[in-house]
Amino acid sequence: MIEEIKNLRKEIAGTEITNEETLEAFRLKFLSRKGLIQTMFARMSEVPQEERASVGKAMNEVKQQAEDKFRKGKDSLTQATATQLRATDDITLPVAPAYAGSLHPLTQTVNEMKDIFFRLGFDVAYGPEIEDDFHNFTALNFPPDHPARDMQDTFFVQKSGKENAEDLVMRTHTSPVQIRLMKETTPPIRSIIPGRVFRNEAVTAKSYFQFNQMEGLFVDEKVTMGELIETLVMFAKMMYGEHVKYRVRPSFFPFTEPSIEMDVWWGSDFDGQWLEILGAGMVDPNVFKAVDLDPEKYTGYAFGMGVDRIAMLRYGIDDIRILYENDIRFLNQFTG
Amino acid sequence: MKISYSWLKKYIETDLSPEEAAEKLTLTGLEVEDVETFGSDFDGFVVGNVLKVMDHPYADQLKLCKVDIGKKELQIVCGADNVAPGQKVPVAKIGATLPIPMDDGSKMKIRKMKIRGESSEGMICSESELGLSDDHSGIMVLDENLQTGLPLNKALDVSEDTVFEIGLTPNRPDASCHIGVARDLAAVEEIQIQNPYDKDEPDSGDLSKWIDINIEDTTQCHRYAAKIVQNVTVGESPNWLKNRLRAIGLRPINNVVDVTNFVLHEIGQPLHAFNYEKLAKQKIVVKSFDKDLEFETLDEVKRKVPAGTLFICDGEKPVAIAGVMGGVNSEVTENADTILIESAYFNPSSIRKSSKSLGLQTDSSYRFERGIDPNLARRACERAAALMAELTGGKLLDGCSDIHPVKTDPKKIRLRVRRLNQLLGTSLDIDFAAKVLHNLEIKTTTAGTDELECTIPTFRPDLTREVDLIEEVGRIYDYNNIPRPKTAPFISPKPLSSWEKMHSRVHRIATRLMYKEISTNSLLSGKEEDSFSDEKTRLRTLNPVSQEATTLRTTLLGGFLKALNYNLNRNAKQLRFYETGHVYRKSSNGTWIDGVEEHSKLLMGLCGYRFTENWKNRAQYFTIFDLKSDLESFFEQMGIQPYLTTQVSENGELNYLLENTVIATLTRISDSLAGAFDIELPAFAAEVDLTLIHQAGYAVREITYKKISRYPAFEYDAAYTVDQTVSAGQLSDFIRQTAGEKLEKLEVFDVYEGKNLGKGKKSIAFRLTFLDRNKTLTINDVEPIVQKITRVLNSKLGAKLRS
Repeated sequence: MIEEIKNLRKEIAGTEITNEETLEAFRLKFLSRKGLIQTMFARMSEVPQEERASVGKAMNEVKQQAEDKFRKGKDSLTQATATQLRATDDITLPVAPAYAGSLHPLTQTVNEMKDIFFRLGFDVAYGPEIEDDFHNFTALNFPPDHPARDMQDTFFVQKSGKENAEDLVMRTHTSPVQIRLMKETTPPIRSIIPGRVFRNEAVTAKSYFQFNQMEGLFVDEKVTMGELIETLVMFAKMMYGEHVKYRVRPSFFPFTEPSIEMDVWWGSDFDGQWLEILGAGMVDPNVFKAVDLDPEKYTGYAFGMGVDRIAMLRYGIDDIRILYENDIRFLNQFTG
Repeated sequence: MKISYSWLKKYIETDLSPEEAAEKLTLTGLEVEDVETFGSDFDGFVVGNVLKVMDHPYADQLKLCKVDIGKKELQIVCGADNVAPGQKVPVAKIGATLPIPMDDGSKMKIRKMKIRGESSEGMICSESELGLSDDHSGIMVLDENLQTGLPLNKALDVSEDTVFEIGLTPNRPDASCHIGVARDLAAVEEIQIQNPYDKDEPDSGDLSKWIDINIEDTTQCHRYAAKIVQNVTVGESPNWLKNRLRAIGLRPINNVVDVTNFVLHEIGQPLHAFNYEKLAKQKIVVKSFDKDLEFETLDEVKRKVPAGTLFICDGEKPVAIAGVMGGVNSEVTENADTILIESAYFNPSSIRKSSKSLGLQTDSSYRFERGIDPNLARRACERAAALMAELTGGKLLDGCSDIHPVKTDPKKIRLRVRRLNQLLGTSLDIDFAAKVLHNLEIKTTTAGTDELECTIPTFRPDLTREVDLIEEVGRIYDYNNIPRPKTAPFISPKPLSSWEKMHSRVHRIATRLMYKEISTNSLLSGKEEDSFSDEKTRLRTLNPVSQEATTLRTTLLGGFLKALNYNLNRNAKQLRFYETGHVYRKSSNGTWIDGVEEHSKLLMGLCGYRFTENWKNRAQYFTIFDLKSDLESFFEQMGIQPYLTTQVSENGELNYLLENTVIATLTRISDSLAGAFDIELPAFAAEVDLTLIHQAGYAVREITYKKISRYPAFEYDAAYTVDQTVSAGQLSDFIRQTAGEKLEKLEVFDVYEGKNLGKGKKSIAFRLTFLDRNKTLTINDVEPIVQKITRVLNSKLGAKLRS
């Protein structure tokens, strides 16, 4: 019996499979129900009991051998036919990548900033882009003859000439939403305010008559400047990396006192520079008075930053105009 | 504002390098935006004596000079016309380096060389080559009394200087001068400042014999002091003074004007020098006029000065615009003999008004506008007069005319140290606060254990409240030193607003539908807006930055079309854009502001090719139905599709209505609009009013899972013949209304017009999918519904079921 199995092995090895016909002939001869292998298994009863284990093993091996040979033969025949497919079935034919939807880099930057401040427990608020004098200037402690109230700096939509009171402007900052928030809700208030703002500036590589800001406001009892700075540092680290080099320095804004600006070091240690990324400060007592909050009871901080500038730094954009040109070759770079 | 570091060091003794000083100043609030080196120590430059000037044998334009430089005689080739024997000139010796960089940024080193065959052993320099001025018309001619061979830095009394460009914040008028800046540096370094003005006003006689001063307008002018210097010789200032002024970017003029500029930049008091002899009737009158005047200022411009502007007049006529600029009629000319020095305090808002209405800002008006020390006039006047007498060889008249109708006393403010620590988050003690304030020249006395009574010097008009003093202590302490809390009190955040949730969903859906977000201008040209709105409804800026941006957008369409045009011009073929943003129009009921409707909108738009020609597809343009399908998917994802109805507008746009209000419009860009924006491929846009959707209460979609039916759906095809005038939308609306909730889906699988239907007829074939969640539908369930639909369509729209 063992001998017959050996012969069968040789026979299987010696049979060639070159096309569909020989493949089928192979199957019929060896693997079909009446083929040599099944026939051989049927004769198992003839094998003496003590040899059955070794014979059974040999039989299974030869069956495996035939099946492998059949499969390999079949695969190579399939591959051979593949080369005969139609020209347009060629999977290597080039295609244009599908059109992808995407967010504008300014929105991506705002979203990133929002995510950071959401983690720090801030809410988000919005307001109008056309503002009245009270919200844009007066309540924010701008004196009546402040230069920002000049036609040179601010777009007026309506100018009354009567003590500014009825003037309407394209808002020059997102800070008027602070006033709306403080008038409409009661402390604690902890919110960021993103939005579009306007300045009467010529369009150049460095300036544009519209841009985007993100404001932050926190009002409660016993809010300190230490907390303000810590919040800004946390923001800078999350935005620019754990090892960002930063400094704060005194500055001036009508609606905060004390006021500061924050710089981050941009570039290498040897060839870099301080770049201002935001202005901030403790809410000025006059602002609290304008919204009927008691400055003795409440303190608060506010900060504001330019989204366009942060986006430009982040992506290495050197001309602000490209943010509003909507060139698809530009937008295509901001997918993903 | 420019500050010279070597000038600054006249008032404080410090070893800080210029860079260290700049950093310290920045951290106290005087931001140094730029640090520049000015001038030179002039190593290798000496005073030469020109012995002989000969023509160059081989070059007409050049001369050969023999120059004595002390121990040596040099031959130097020189191209200047003005070189002459006997002159004392600056000579750069071999090895010296010119202080001013050449165009390529490198500096020229003087070498021994042959110029057109003649050897040249140095260089005779012009003022511009030495970096002293822009004058390159010829070589610089020095004082003939200078000793030959003297090092040039000694001869010119110059050395290398560092100049800080300081970005001064508007609250710090006190720091708009060298002593003011020195005061901050001294405070932070805790060193003494030498202030030449820090003395009492001299108690000397008055000048009323010489000059009669009358302030008519005491609200605009609080003080007017004058001193007189006689027998002056107007001429060049000494080198030290010229160098001081040059370092901060001023052009030296003469020893009278230079002194006034020096004092201005030293202490911040603007001064004006009048030619005393030109003042009619020896009178000074400070007043304004109630009519416009023409007045010629020192810069020889005849200006129309509006009524109400404050003037300085003599006995007959105006001689200066107060605080801004003097007049030609009283100018100090070369042959002037007697000078009257004006030192005054003008009301800041008065000078701001003058400067603004004239469009003229000067070093004087800049300082008056921000508020100078009201008690400085007399001391500044004394210093200027003494210096002027010294430099002009004039005689200083004893006494001063000092009219001082409005006096300003130092303010007193209480500072609570606990409040300081509470606001800053520090634990500073009262002694520290007192020390810092003392270093800033703010006198303090203790009032109780926790409070300081502070006397504010009059040069600090910005300090009016306790919080201002807290800032003073904080900035000198350095905000970077405030200990930072390890933990902050946790304020429970509120849930995100429905608006925020909706807005972020809008962006998510639009990008998911494969639209690219654009960001376009809120301001368009009037001509561009003409396509969408008329003058009556839209808003304009009163002071546009350019004609391209005069009008507030009433729709996002204009920006979209401009973005299309921009990209089509750059050969783009396929554009799918969206934008969210505010649009504005006049309205009787305002959104935020009375009379202004300001809504947030979404625009989705397509332009060009759905496919461009390739091996797989024929080129195919986008159609309105591509956008319609995206738009309705948007509504579906927003969860508002079931509540919407549609209506075709007069001009063929499709309006979507939510609770009877149009919240979206789907439109083909018409030929005329495409023409106006120069768009040559088919374009479509849909604009959705997000504010209205939010107001209607559909901002937040709560998703609730609906069980999926275990039973199969039943499809039924029905084609209806109708008049051409009947729209598919009308048919669909009636089908939906009639079919009831079992109708799961409605599709149109064929639209047909043909002769066999009859003239003016069309056929629309619907595939209706019915589904019951509780059983398997059969033809017996569906047919009665379809019959009912057919009856309704027939009676309402005259539709007939095609068999």
